[in-house]
Amino acid sequence: MIELKSLTKTLICIGPGGVGKTTMAATIAIGKAHEGKKVLVLTIDPSLRLAQALGIKPDGHVHNLTSQTMLAQKGSLFACVIQHEIAFHEFIIQASSNKLATHDIDKLTQNKLYKQLSTKLSGSQEFTSLFKLNSYVQSGLYDLVILDTPPAQHTWQFLKAPEKLSQLFNEGVASWFRNPAQADIGFFKKILNIGTTQVLKALETLTGADFIKELSLFFSAVQNWQAPLEKQVLDCHRLLASPTTEFALITMLDQSRITECQKISQEILQEGYHLTTVVINKVPQWFKNSRASYSQKIQRLSDYYQKTESLFMQSLTSDAGFKNQLKIYKCPEVSQNQLHAKKLSEIYFQISRFN
Amino acid sequence: MATQKIHFFTGKGGVGKSLLAASYAYAIAKKIDRGPVLLAELTERSFYRDFLSHKNIGYKPSVLQNLSKNLSISQWSAADCLKEYAMHLLKIESLYKIFFENPISKSLIQVAPGLQELAILGKATSGQRKHGPQMPFSDIAIDAFATGHFINMLRAPKAMSEIISVGPMGEQSRSIDRCLRDASLCQVHIVTNAEELPISEAIELYFELKKEFGIRSSVYLNKLLNLDDLDFKNLPEDEQKYFSEIAENEQISIQKLAAENIDFKKILFIPETDTVKLVESLSKFYD
Repeated sequence: MIELKSLTKTLICIGPGGVGKTTMAATIAIGKAHEGKKVLVLTIDPSLRLAQALGIKPDGHVHNLTSQTMLAQKGSLFACVIQHEIAFHEFIIQASSNKLATHDIDKLTQNKLYKQLSTKLSGSQEFTSLFKLNSYVQSGLYDLVILDTPPAQHTWQFLKAPEKLSQLFNEGVASWFRNPAQADIGFFKKILNIGTTQVLKALETLTGADFIKELSLFFSAVQNWQAPLEKQVLDCHRLLASPTTEFALITMLDQSRITECQKISQEILQEGYHLTTVVINKVPQWFKNSRASYSQKIQRLSDYYQKTESLFMQSLTSDAGFKNQLKIYKCPEVSQNQLHAKKLSEIYFQISRFN
Repeated sequence: MATQKIHFFTGKGGVGKSLLAASYAYAIAKKIDRGPVLLAELTERSFYRDFLSHKNIGYKPSVLQNLSKNLSISQWSAADCLKEYAMHLLKIESLYKIFFENPISKSLIQVAPGLQELAILGKATSGQRKHGPQMPFSDIAIDAFATGHFINMLRAPKAMSEIISVGPMGEQSRSIDRCLRDASLCQVHIVTNAEELPISEAIELYFELKKEFGIRSSVYLNKLLNLDDLDFKNLPEDEQKYFSEIAENEQISIQKLAAENIDFKKILFIPETDTVKLVESLSKFYD
């Protein structure tokens, strides 16, 4: 079981790729629903098996899974697979305060820069998941919203995403490219003012003249979203830093994860976010038994896991302040063949405190 | 010196590509006829700094003393690659600053499609193309991005040359693209585990690379336990079940790769917590 503060409304699961973050988010969601809460779990890219196990469709809508997952009457479970492009579109519409006419929106969605932003610019996927998270938390429809973060190269990229996107739209940059009608005069005058006519040439060499044109069209189409975007970014920050938001770092029993886990935890705590929970996932259950009948191979594996587990604990509890702030759990390994809602709820109750 | 060879390591998150890249680099560095070798990681935050206890990892290569004098390590961010290339062309720091350290350029570099990926590939292939700053290594092993981001990176030069067909930028993009497709210059190494998701990602990537770039990747089936029935037949039922399932998954994975006619190397899981020893033990699989 995972303990959360009674006032907690948001749980954000972070961690490196390959540790089973999505399955863990689903497991905690099922467990919390069992405990009687109305829970929504937001995920980005569930494996086919997990999606099938829970009965969710990747269509960007919220699905009620209460009956499929055979929960006690008290709680309820909802799940949504965030569709980045749909969510980004929603954000544009909302940020423009519905001032954009349909043909303007069509023009915008055909823009190369828009396509880049809405598909693969690093940080924009993180941004849309935060945007969706915030809107679901604010809706007040759920007791707890759990977010499974996108597979970023680094955990902290996720936390920096709103800032990164807002930098792109800061007044200094956006104003350069706005208002194409007056662009010839205004644009060059501004460059001359800074005394760097070459900047434009360099940019054209780097990106091509077409790109500069696209950019100008893009910024003029989104003139009005400066303020709403900044508000969104601020709201996301507020949500991340809120005392009712908790962070859980998911990792696994692997030698290479030990120092990484310690460093990430320290950094997130230093930044002032409420990291309360570390889950060491995929912990094999057998190696505690130390049997005389182990073959040499299995004995070596058992020794390795024992040692890794104690190194992990040492690293996470060596700092007393750190130890007091974090609840460290271990979660048993789930076989992919057993992935179904009932198994996940069993697993939830097998998650145990380490410290 | 013979032609510099580049080795990219990729695969699903968590399969062990960083460790295999390091042990592969070490394996080549040990050979008498090769070297010096560079191990490069494409991260904003170093993985190897803690993993190999090598404190001074930076853009500039430094020798990995605790492994081999013939092996250096470096960390490449797109921004550093771009800066080095720009400095190579512009020569003057103040001119660089005017170009690249104003908010407009900074933001544009962030959003220009594929520019960051292009900068990294430009750096990696600069020796082969005899263009840009040269690196004195016989081999460069790159701990690259995970599957999806990796193939997008390889696509960047061609995409860029289609956007900018004329001028030096288009020419450089085309020459980078040619290098990537040349098996004597670049090799892609796909790492996978014996589990359903990593295996299907690896197979998909293998055929995408073959179809789009004509690349024949090397595939590594990593972290195999390679258990025998005898290893667990005397254990209690639940433990037997646990180990037989692992053995079965390993068999299924081997069969899946074989069914697709993909050649692969088996890499055993090494239960070792000392990372330097781990890299040394793994390097023996490449002999």
